Amino acid sequence: MARALVTGNHAAGYTLALAGEANRVARGCCGGAYPITPQTEIIEFLRGFQFTKGRVVPVESEHSAMGVCIGASLGGARAFTASSSNGLAYMVENIFAAGYYRLPIVMIAVNRTLGPPWNIWVDQGDSLMFRDAAWIQFYTDSHQDLVDTILLAFRVAEDKRILLPVVVAMDGFVTSHTQMVVELPEQEQVDRYLPACEVPHRLRHDHPATVGGMTWPRETAHHRREIQNAMDRVPEVLYQAIDEFAEVFGRRPVGALETEFTEDAKTVLIACNTMARTLRRAVLARRERGQHVGMIRAKLFRPFPREELLRAIGSARRVGVLDRNHSAGSGGIFWQEIAATLQERPDVLLQDYLVGLGGGDVTPEIIDGVIDDLASRARATQPIWQEAMT
Amino acid sequence: MAELTIFGRGGQGGVTLAKLIAETYFLRGMYAQAFGVYAAERSGAPVQAYVRIDEREITNHNEIREPDHVVVLDRTLIAPRVVTGLKTDGWLVLNSPEPPSAFREMFPGRRVATVDATAIAAGNGLGTRTVPIVNTTMFGAVARVFGLTFADVESALTELKFGGANVASARQAFEGVKAEHQPGTIREVTAPPPSQRIASLLDSTIGGLPALRTGSWASRHPNRRHLTPPCNNACPAGNDVQAFVAAVAKEDYNGALEILLETSPFPGVCGRVCPAPCMQACNRSGYDESLNVRELERYVADLGQRERFSAPRRDEAVAVIGSGPAGLSAAYHLARLGYQVTVLEAERELGGVMRTGIPEYRLPRTVLDREIEFVIGHGVQTHTGHRVSRGELVDLSRRFAAVFVATGLQEARSLDLGVDLGGSTHRIEQGIAFLDRARGGAAFVRGERVVVIGGGNTAIDAARSARRLGAARVVIVYRRSRQEMPAIREEIDAAIEEGIAIHELVSPVRVQENDSSLSLTCQRMRLGEPDESGRARPVPETTEDAFFDIPCDRVILALGQTPDLSIIPEGSEIRENGRLLGLAGSPVFCGGDLAGNEGTVSAAIGSGHLAALHIHRTLSGEDLFPPSPEPLAGPEAITTHVFTHAPRRRGGTIDVALRRHTFAEVHTGFSSATEGESAAEEASRCFSCGVCNSCDRCRQYCPEGIVSRDGDGYRFDYDYCKGCGVCAAQCPRGVIYMAEL
Amino acid sequence: MTTAFIQNDGTCVESVLRPGNTNCAGCGMSIGFQLLTQALEREPIMLVIPACCGIVTAGAFPTSAYGVPTAAATFASSAAFATGLATVAEFNGDDHPVVCWAGDGGTYDIGLATLSAAAERNENMIYVCYDNEIYGNTGGQRSSATPEGVATTTSPGGKSEPKKDIMGIMTAHRIPYAATLSVAHREDFLHKVRTARNTRGFRFLLMLSPCPIGWKSEPDESVELIRVAVACGVFPLYEVFDGSRFRINARPDATPLVDYIGRQKRYTRSRLDVGILDEQIKRQWRYLGTMATTFPA
Repeated sequence: MARALVTGNHAAGYTLALAGEANRVARGCCGGAYPITPQTEIIEFLRGFQFTKGRVVPVESEHSAMGVCIGASLGGARAFTASSSNGLAYMVENIFAAGYYRLPIVMIAVNRTLGPPWNIWVDQGDSLMFRDAAWIQFYTDSHQDLVDTILLAFRVAEDKRILLPVVVAMDGFVTSHTQMVVELPEQEQVDRYLPACEVPHRLRHDHPATVGGMTWPRETAHHRREIQNAMDRVPEVLYQAIDEFAEVFGRRPVGALETEFTEDAKTVLIACNTMARTLRRAVLARRERGQHVGMIRAKLFRPFPREELLRAIGSARRVGVLDRNHSAGSGGIFWQEIAATLQERPDVLLQDYLVGLGGGDVTPEIIDGVIDDLASRARATQPIWQEAMT
Repeated sequence: MAELTIFGRGGQGGVTLAKLIAETYFLRGMYAQAFGVYAAERSGAPVQAYVRIDEREITNHNEIREPDHVVVLDRTLIAPRVVTGLKTDGWLVLNSPEPPSAFREMFPGRRVATVDATAIAAGNGLGTRTVPIVNTTMFGAVARVFGLTFADVESALTELKFGGANVASARQAFEGVKAEHQPGTIREVTAPPPSQRIASLLDSTIGGLPALRTGSWASRHPNRRHLTPPCNNACPAGNDVQAFVAAVAKEDYNGALEILLETSPFPGVCGRVCPAPCMQACNRSGYDESLNVRELERYVADLGQRERFSAPRRDEAVAVIGSGPAGLSAAYHLARLGYQVTVLEAERELGGVMRTGIPEYRLPRTVLDREIEFVIGHGVQTHTGHRVSRGELVDLSRRFAAVFVATGLQEARSLDLGVDLGGSTHRIEQGIAFLDRARGGAAFVRGERVVVIGGGNTAIDAARSARRLGAARVVIVYRRSRQEMPAIREEIDAAIEEGIAIHELVSPVRVQENDSSLSLTCQRMRLGEPDESGRARPVPETTEDAFFDIPCDRVILALGQTPDLSIIPEGSEIRENGRLLGLAGSPVFCGGDLAGNEGTVSAAIGSGHLAALHIHRTLSGEDLFPPSPEPLAGPEAITTHVFTHAPRRRGGTIDVALRRHTFAEVHTGFSSATEGESAAEEASRCFSCGVCNSCDRCRQYCPEGIVSRDGDGYRFDYDYCKGCGVCAAQCPRGVIYMAEL
Repeated sequence: MTTAFIQNDGTCVESVLRPGNTNCAGCGMSIGFQLLTQALEREPIMLVIPACCGIVTAGAFPTSAYGVPTAAATFASSAAFATGLATVAEFNGDDHPVVCWAGDGGTYDIGLATLSAAAERNENMIYVCYDNEIYGNTGGQRSSATPEGVATTTSPGGKSEPKKDIMGIMTAHRIPYAATLSVAHREDFLHKVRTARNTRGFRFLLMLSPCPIGWKSEPDESVELIRVAVACGVFPLYEVFDGSRFRINARPDATPLVDYIGRQKRYTRSRLDVGILDEQIKRQWRYLGTMATTFPA
């Protein structure tokens, strides 16, 4: 491991490249890439990297970027790409194809608000947009979490028990363009950690099969069920991957979620990405004042870790969700998932807070307002907007 | 609520039929629903459509499992499974030419109605040639079965903008549908359970052949047939011209010769002297130039090795009178069948007109001798210098098991020219006699001015022979124009090349003899109305300059010949098949020019062959006559654009300048031809009309890839054939045709 | 061994498109696949087919009418999928062709950007467009490949715009090889497929594909219609090398345009001005003739 001071994008590009290079022992690596703010540095790094057996194709659109990844993965290579916001939107058709084709593609989503109207700042709505597409989804809060989770992503995606693509999200600008200290992996470590990529259903000359042709309802429903079964196996495979990671890198990255001060908390707040780091500072301050407030950083969004989340919430009676995203006509998307999880806990007051939409800086003061509101609330109400709280 | 299921194929308009039925009841104030099951919307694939009718609003969107009635639009879909779930007293309405009773075994106890909607729709021009659209027609039948009025039918059709032909078609079906309640007990049909195992994307076993047998889509199938090539049809000797040419194209010369020898023992002769009606009938002549069949026959005859045929000997002996082409052909075919044949010939040498009537520069005696030798070599006894009289004929008919009379044309036509033709100067003579003397090669016409009267082959032969014998000048006088001359075109052209002048539209009037020379007075003619021969009648000009004189030294008459019928016993007649009636004793047949043939060697050969078959059938009872021929492969059977234009290869000829001084053979054939003029190349120009030659086009262009080689021919996999007809359209020679199922 | 496979000189060759497929009777694409199989002479290929009749004909999972490994691509993405496949094939010493087989919709319209980008990068693939001049799979709507004057379900009175010149577009990309294919000219077809196979880089083949349903023509006339299309000049047979050298493979003869359009109700049903089409053909041939003379291959 090498300690470095780099941007999140640099760290992501670097880690992707090493993962791709590791597959030089098998069928190589390949992906398509198209620039979009705030992701460009990733693909610039990748395009500058000298692969032994790899190629990053400078395509003409994100839709084609994922198309190239799918083709590469069907050819049995390790495939990856990165995008944000409208790039992800343009890519969505092929994102679904990658998921339904069970291809172990890894993508970095540098979270950025969807438009137009154009907005370049952070919002989780772009990666959440395709939460139904059979992709495993990780939301990272730091450079280190990002780097480690990228490696976990390849390991989990390519596992024969899984065979699903993985998106690793980071905050646009806040992570992507910010220089921080991070332990970057060495090639030799990645070579050891990642087994050779094998796509069992890749196209082979000795076995003519058609991937993706017309499928009747019965087979389609069954196919969806198989995908769900694979999703159900993710926690087990993820924790095995983390164990193996610890052996090679000497630390354990967070798996599905991480908790702080939840053991005796009556009030718990949940957030993801860098906002969770701000939440942590706010919760710490409350603890110092003797308040039993706890926090959960949501990391694994798909499959949604219901059981682990229920255990983390424990005996808390008030749960507040900080959503930097919004599904118009409903509310925050993390909130919707958590509400479904908490149907077994009718005793819990669950409240959604829509903060930082469109990329505004979520300060500890804003979070303090949330904590106060949650504590004083008699019952839950419609999702509460940040602008309504000032 | 009533529910109806419609079984059809994509493209037949099943969903539209559902809409029409729904519309009818809608117009009557009911609620109605019509929909189809959509899968891959391909033409030909089986699809279902559904109709629901109810007095109340319909909210059911499921597929229909237990219909009240069932309609089947496509006859190939009629199977026990169509009544799965059909209610006991429900109607089954079928598109079929059969009456309902034909389905008693398949659908016992059911109410069945049938109508031939396909024929009615096709008759009203609905849909395409390949796929008639039957939905509006069936609508008429269904309405009748359900007790609707035709006014109902018309309203619905109008509402959905179906006009004219659709209404007429529906009416025919409305009036023509036949309905019956079948006897018997209803046989329940249940749907098979779905298979337990569902395949996974990650299975290593995926990717096998689809189970769908698309052969069930076809409404017509390709079949292969054999059409008669026009060359075969035209050949008077009955040769399989197409087959021998095909063998030459493959450079199988022995095989080609074998084919010819099946029908004719004189390929070398015919390959030199036949007017080749095959070439005139050749379909290639409409594209560039006809095949040079004659030259190919000659090549094969000269080059190929001929094997004598052997057959078990029969006891019966047959007599053949006359050793011309008809007689020798009969002898050959009879000997090949094992009969003991004796040939009686009046002249000193065998061969008939082939020997005496055709000059050496057209038919060298070595060629003729070799072919006659081959015939004789089959064990034929011959007696030359033996003229058979009428009395002897009767005697022969008692001594032999059968007799064939083929004495040919003996009498030469003459003309009154005011002189005695039998005069001692011999300066006016018959063409045949002249040719006979010319065989000797004596230069008895050296320096003479010769006039030949006539337009047939004998006239040309006489003129060209005179030329070679040293005549100073040779002129042919013919009363019609050159186009009407019956001689072979190439012979006429060759004569002109050799410096012989043709005076057309000139008729001889009289000859005046003086001591040293002759003067032939001629009259100019013009062409009038056609006469009984179909050719324009020559009409004498009557103007002052219509008459003119030609001074000359010799006049040769070549006006054609007639048979000498004195050999035929009194009171007997020749029937159409050649059988001579009115004689007691063994069967006697007549043939060749004696029996009024068209006057060619090949016609005589054919006549002799037929006579042999007649004799064989009479003596043994065995019928070896060729079967009735298949239809003719006319030019419309050939797709010419597939073939590259190429001129006819002509083979070699000796220089014109040389020709005038020698009786050596003028045509040297393909063997001495220049490069690029090979026999195989010429034979490759053959279209092979109506006969498959494994060109592979059907296999190459079949969209399904279901045409495969089967020996020399092809096979169609009907399990998968969709009946598109591309193979039939792409066969350039009419071998493949589409037949309705 | 069933009789379902093409027999080629006594041996059995599995066709790229096998019997049991659901293409309509007389489909031009089917004929194209048979000729492709004959040209390849048993060389394995991988197929990438976007949403179109070409993938529907494979039939329902888990079986497939394709006898070669095939990836179903999203409608616009065949050239992108193929880029990935071809790249990985090359890494791993597999030099058998990756072939896109797309209709005019996936080539001229929704797939044009992807196609252009793959061509601009000179990706190593053979891209075959089977052009039936409509969106066939969805029932016959107009595409930019539909000729002017043709009636379709979304241009019932006849299309107002002329046909897009996709060969011109591919020529402008200066790819190593672009050519038009005729299903009625077998020798030419085989030769061009083999030329493409033996060329590196992006190869584009345009095949006019008769669709009896969309063209409202008789299925048995499919091959003949294309022969006439070539003969009357409406579908030129030519090759372009590196976007700069031209070879014309067949000149039109005196066959009149009406021999072609008279047999297709998609033409005869619209208010078509034949003179306009004639003028377009003449203009195209003036251009081709000039290019072939000035920049011969």
